[in-house]
Amino acid sequence: MGGYNKKTLTFILAGGQGERLYPLTRDRSKPAVHFGGTYRIIDFPLSNCLNSDMRKIIVLTQYKSLSLERHISTAWNLFHRELGAFIDVVPPQQRITEDWYRGTADAIFQNIYIIEMEKPEYVMILSGDHIYKMDYNRMLHFHVENNADLTIAAIETPLDEARRFGVLEVDESQRLIGFEEKPANPRPIPGKKDRSFVSMGLYIFKTEKLVTYLSQDHKLEGSNDFGKDVIPRVFKTDRVFTYDYVENEGERAYWRDIGTVKTYYEANMELLTETPPIDLYERGWIIRTYMDQFPPAKILCEEAESNTDVINSIVSNGSTINGGSVRNSVLSPGVKVHGNAVIENSILMHGVTVGKNAKVRNAIIDKRIKIPEGEQIGYDLKKDRKRFTVTDEDIVVVPKGFVF
Amino acid sequence: MSKILIVEDEQHQRELYAMELQDEGYEVEQASNGKEAVDKVKNNKYDLVILDIRMPEMDGIEALGKILSRDKKIPIIIYTAYSNYKSNFMTWTADAYITKSSNLQELKDKIKEIIASRSK
Repeated sequence: MGGYNKKTLTFILAGGQGERLYPLTRDRSKPAVHFGGTYRIIDFPLSNCLNSDMRKIIVLTQYKSLSLERHISTAWNLFHRELGAFIDVVPPQQRITEDWYRGTADAIFQNIYIIEMEKPEYVMILSGDHIYKMDYNRMLHFHVENNADLTIAAIETPLDEARRFGVLEVDESQRLIGFEEKPANPRPIPGKKDRSFVSMGLYIFKTEKLVTYLSQDHKLEGSNDFGKDVIPRVFKTDRVFTYDYVENEGERAYWRDIGTVKTYYEANMELLTETPPIDLYERGWIIRTYMDQFPPAKILCEEAESNTDVINSIVSNGSTINGGSVRNSVLSPGVKVHGNAVIENSILMHGVTVGKNAKVRNAIIDKRIKIPEGEQIGYDLKKDRKRFTVTDEDIVVVPKGFVF
Repeated sequence: MSKILIVEDEQHQRELYAMELQDEGYEVEQASNGKEAVDKVKNNKYDLVILDIRMPEMDGIEALGKILSRDKKIPIIIYTAYSNYKSNFMTWTADAYITKSSNLQELKDKIKEIIASRSK
């Protein structure tokens, strides 16, 4: 049994504007946002595809897609069409309407000709802005064995977080019997008062059913969205199942919807423990990315008055720390830290320079920012609010292109 | 009286359909290709469109997309001599797909059914 993966076409929805991730998304789409030093968010669903043997992939872009397209063409140029494997990056073609994509279902509908050409038996739809590990092949088998029209991946969340998602109610065979998109009062799981079962925005469809749903949905008023429109309309009459991600994935289960600067920051900080909740070292499940050719990271003490200390931090290739203190921080490739600088609880993106005696804490510093000597970020929040973005949680974000 | 637009490049066929449907009590207008049909839909209100697929200038499939992006709710019947266009998923957005026959009864029944369901 098997081979279903070869009959499956995967769409990755990578058009998200990521407004709540502003200003990290000011110059790039959400899936292109850097993560964990060397990755971009899109690397996670793409790596899952690679590791699950899903090799017919369409990445649908929309806004600010240049950095994303560039990243995919450099990091992910490894499939060969002659072997039936491809990653195609597809911007809106305006073949059907002249509008931007309205919702997730409309994004697929407007590219329905790709399904027509590929003639897959199954279509898998992923979100390009989630950080997780998942063997899609298992979910595909679950889908086929249940003879499902649609299978929705699902995860438990605390009740108050469930408001951001589609909340699912299932029977003992995992069949969907109730659905509410972003409810004010999420329904708890029977027997667990404070938890809800929510949609991960990850779907597998029988192709024929998907096309039927999309053609119907296209003619209805509404937002043309899977969560808001399609699922509520079809689950009562059709075979719609939920796939319990955590139960199936076991210990490896880790899923983060990077919705806000806060969740982005926290997901990065989670990597700084000895055994992070997502294991990036798993040899059988490599997360692939693109890295510039840099020499290895180097830690010196020439410019410092006292010892250099680097603790609980990620230091990527091409970085040099020459004196100072780096604690609980993520340093992306090519970061330069000069004498007696202090960096704490921060994320420094590619090519950031920190001048002598500068101090940075609780901050996200976007690419190639030059922090001058003696500058302080994250210490006087009143001052920082005037020049940067500061979140409700007091995380300071220095946007790309900022000049001190 | 319900108003129907017939889109068909063969003049002879088009006029035949128009006559038969007028006899059924419908008001009928005609267009000879997709482009004309899209222009007509822009400027008029129809209760139903009957759409051929193989036509010069603009074929029925392209016209279907353009008509729907103009007016999502307008019922469309694809009326073609070829059944293989079902493999073009855009045709799935039509309310019905009927292959042409010398007997117009199937088409007439479908028109009646759709118009009745819309006037509920």
